[in-house]
Amino acid sequence: MTIPADLKYTKEHEWVRIEGDTATFGISDHAQEALGDIVFVELPEIGRELAPGDAFAVVESVKAVSDVYAPVGGEIIEVNEALEGEPEKINTDSYGAGWIVRVKINGGSGELLDAEAYATFLKE
Amino acid sequence: MSPTTYSAASGLQHEEALLFEHAHEDATSIALPGIAGDACPELAAFARQTPALIPGLSEPEAVRHFVRLSQWNHGIETGFYPLGSCTMKYNPRVNEQVVRLPGLAGLHPEQPDDSVQGVLALLFELQQWLGEISGLPHVTLQPAAGAHGELAGMMVIRAYHDARGDTTRRKVLVPDSAHGTNPASAVLAGLETVEIKSGADGRIDLEVLKAHLDDDVAALMLTNPNTTGMFESDIAEICELVHAAGGMVYGDGANLNALVGLARPGDMGIDCLHINVHKTFSTPHGGGGPGAGPVAVNDALAPFLPVPRIERHDNTFRVVRKDAKSIGAIFGSIGQVGVLLRAAAYIAAFGRNHLHRIAEDAVLNANYVLNRLKDAYHVPFPGLCKHECLLTDALQEKHGVKTLDIAKRLIDLGMHPMTVYFPLIVHGAMLIEPTETEARETLDTFCDAMLEIAAACEAGDTEALHAAPLIPFRRRLDETQAARKPVLVWPLN
Amino acid sequence: MRFLPHTDADRQSMLQSMGLDDVRQLFADIPAGFHLAPGALDLPDALAEADIVRKFTRAAESNRHAGSTRCFLGGGTYHHFVPAVVDYIISRGEVLTAYTPYQPEIAQGTLQTLFEFQTMVARLLGMEVANASMYDAATAVAEAALMAKRITRKSRIVMAASVNPAYREVTRNYLSQQEFDYVEIAAAGFRTDVAALAAGVDDATAAVVVQYPDFFGSVHDLAPLRAACDAHKALLVVCFSDASAFGLIEPPGSYGADIVCGSGQALGIPMGFGGPHIGLFACREKYVRQMPGRLCGMTNDVDGKRGFVLTLSTREQHIRREKATSNICSNQGLMCTANACYMTLMGDAGLKEVARHSAAALQALVSSLPAGVTAAGGAHYNETVLSFADQAARDRVLAAGRAQDIFAGIPLEQMDAQYDKTHGNKHLLVATTEMIGAQDVADYMKMLEAAR
Repeated sequence: MTIPADLKYTKEHEWVRIEGDTATFGISDHAQEALGDIVFVELPEIGRELAPGDAFAVVESVKAVSDVYAPVGGEIIEVNEALEGEPEKINTDSYGAGWIVRVKINGGSGELLDAEAYATFLKE
Repeated sequence: MSPTTYSAASGLQHEEALLFEHAHEDATSIALPGIAGDACPELAAFARQTPALIPGLSEPEAVRHFVRLSQWNHGIETGFYPLGSCTMKYNPRVNEQVVRLPGLAGLHPEQPDDSVQGVLALLFELQQWLGEISGLPHVTLQPAAGAHGELAGMMVIRAYHDARGDTTRRKVLVPDSAHGTNPASAVLAGLETVEIKSGADGRIDLEVLKAHLDDDVAALMLTNPNTTGMFESDIAEICELVHAAGGMVYGDGANLNALVGLARPGDMGIDCLHINVHKTFSTPHGGGGPGAGPVAVNDALAPFLPVPRIERHDNTFRVVRKDAKSIGAIFGSIGQVGVLLRAAAYIAAFGRNHLHRIAEDAVLNANYVLNRLKDAYHVPFPGLCKHECLLTDALQEKHGVKTLDIAKRLIDLGMHPMTVYFPLIVHGAMLIEPTETEARETLDTFCDAMLEIAAACEAGDTEALHAAPLIPFRRRLDETQAARKPVLVWPLN
Repeated sequence: MRFLPHTDADRQSMLQSMGLDDVRQLFADIPAGFHLAPGALDLPDALAEADIVRKFTRAAESNRHAGSTRCFLGGGTYHHFVPAVVDYIISRGEVLTAYTPYQPEIAQGTLQTLFEFQTMVARLLGMEVANASMYDAATAVAEAALMAKRITRKSRIVMAASVNPAYREVTRNYLSQQEFDYVEIAAAGFRTDVAALAAGVDDATAAVVVQYPDFFGSVHDLAPLRAACDAHKALLVVCFSDASAFGLIEPPGSYGADIVCGSGQALGIPMGFGGPHIGLFACREKYVRQMPGRLCGMTNDVDGKRGFVLTLSTREQHIRREKATSNICSNQGLMCTANACYMTLMGDAGLKEVARHSAAALQALVSSLPAGVTAAGGAHYNETVLSFADQAARDRVLAAGRAQDIFAGIPLEQMDAQYDKTHGNKHLLVATTEMIGAQDVADYMKMLEAAR
């Protein structure tokens, strides 16, 4: 299981990559593995304002459904439309091609863990 | 172990194409008596322009098609079917015979009451019987299924609170072991659900319950015996606590087979109960339905029951279609009548003197299975079970064998698997419900198979378990592919 | 007890294997105060099989049924012919006594049948996809309204008052539990007022619900409703009562309907005093994840052989619990098989012939009405409203019909009390099927003489 050091994580197993005033969200390798083969991703509309902790997407496997929550607040500026045809990208590359949305940061942030703290959290 | 020891199959198994692959679109096997003439001339403007392309087969071909398909199924008449929470008991053939009588099958629901007194009498009698069996005297036959009964019950409870001006009671407490329909039905009735965590023994923890009780509570939804197969022995206290807080206790009757004729939910303090007649009262499951979910309530809730319902005045029966306080209709007719009549026939066959033997033998069989398997499989909640017993794969998991493997292996051994991965509160759950209509020989065959699987795990001989099922003409199916790129209809070209 | 295999000796030895000697010891966890003594319930004594047959036969014979009368009753349930093969197939134990196909390897018969059913329903209705059925037409309409809210995130439902009263009432009752703005648009006499319905659609509207052919049997061009829905981003929901119509007339899908639902009872299911029937439910493919109910999909097994499974079940209550698209946990599986078998026996040609016959019987009836009895005008399929001079005249006809083994029609006010106020109790809803022959129509005309 991989936990890249350059990302921040939530206890709900989202990751966030912050670059300047934009942030990219996805779900962690641990989360995709726990869900199993992803069969569908419900993506939000561009322009939607998210507060930290807002559910913004739904990730489904055959027998499980999981809401995805915003690690930081912001306005959605891009969604990963490739997931509509190939949701399995979350399984194969959860930190890369399996990203879910990009936001323009304009709000606060929830509790974020660095890679080490997230690894510890997973062990608990 | 050899996968050919037992077989679910008998004789030949035939591949059978889809109807749409049989090229007979112009065929029909129907010859009608015939009336001359055409539709009204104005209808010509609406004539269908593109054919539907429903493939027609001649009668011999059609029969062969559907008979072959039927032979790919396992049914309760084919073999053991110990699906927990589903009560797969034998479906008596006489029940099939009587509901097909022309004087029952050939009735239009809008016929005048005086032309349908016979069927109304049977249905009215069933209302009375279900009231007596549940200890809740007022019964609606309208709900079409268990989940539909839950919806009716929650609407009735909400209407009761609203009628008393108690319009802020919107919270419904649902144990985490409950069937998924419970929270879904409460939400459909405009209520909000709060999940209650089960105690370490799989039952409701009174302290946890107390902490959730307040003026917002509309109801507790309770399955008793619960979905772990255990009786909630604190039932009287549970009901008293909920009542003291002003709430109602809704009983999910899915597990009534453990109590029928022996104890009555109404006596325990339950206010409202749906009864799955396709479980307790033997109506066939039909590959997914139809069922029926009559709801029985106490005096306080009675005025709110759905209409239409059947009343008796002197010795004539009539259908009451309007009632001021009623929540109104939740189904397009009086109910799934053919299903209800089969249930009445089942109750009539047992009667006052034998009804309790359903629960006795059902509980005996479940405990017998539990007792035979309790050393080879992990039992999460030890003690007596009721009509079903709960095991897990904890002892097999260390050999790399999961509940799913065990289930699929049972198919190769000639029987339908138990319910798997439910209830959700137990990891790797296997819920086994043998029912009262299984002979000891069948139970022993099942237990032997389960013990053989456990022994194979211990011996590290797990190849057949992972490969299972090998015998049926289709093996493990790719559910991921089905969900990623859904193909729900055969393409037109 | 013939359904219980154990002998008393079996029971004793099973108990002994557990170290017990009385079955009641297995119920020790139920507080003693709740135990009933055997035989304590107020129920009749057990009946032998022969007595059950006698009891039900007596009850059945005291009813008047369609087999020995002429049935002109419709209103959502129709006396169509059911071929013997249909009942034979659904009586087979492997079909009748199987559960929901949760173990697909040993339920491919149920599953392939469901896939065939879904395909045939979609084709008959002119829609892209269909589910594996709902309880009945009324609950299907209610679920369609709920689904429209999920898709549009709007909560105003515009319902034609010419929709079957039972469908409207059930929908109203379902919606009353939620935040909904429910509006009914009055009919124009015994016809759907398409223009008024179209005008009733606004930006807040989630869906307009119309019946086609409508409750009064009248058939309308739905194109104006499609246009109104497009203008206001609302969904067009089309329901129906007698699915045989679409062997003859344009299916709802040809008008661009978003959701189509109704009864499949006409397709091989006996009237059975109101059930079990079946709700058919179809929609555009893009809405399938908001659809209620079970769906069967095609896939392959590990050997690459084609097979079928229940799919998209994350919509359903056993996974999504309180967030499920519906609380439904079953389908009318056996009735799906009946529908699939019926349609296969018919094919396009047979379905068209049943429909032509049903419609021709109505045409024969309305074109020879005596003075004093009138039928609603315009395009009708197999159902219409007959109007009499007054209630007394109508009731004389009903009585004359009973004397001649004819169920002449349904008094409109019986299905919806509002007709008391708006129309007077002088109307009959009359339906015909292929079971009505020329002699039956002639007898009906003779019966109508009682109206004079």
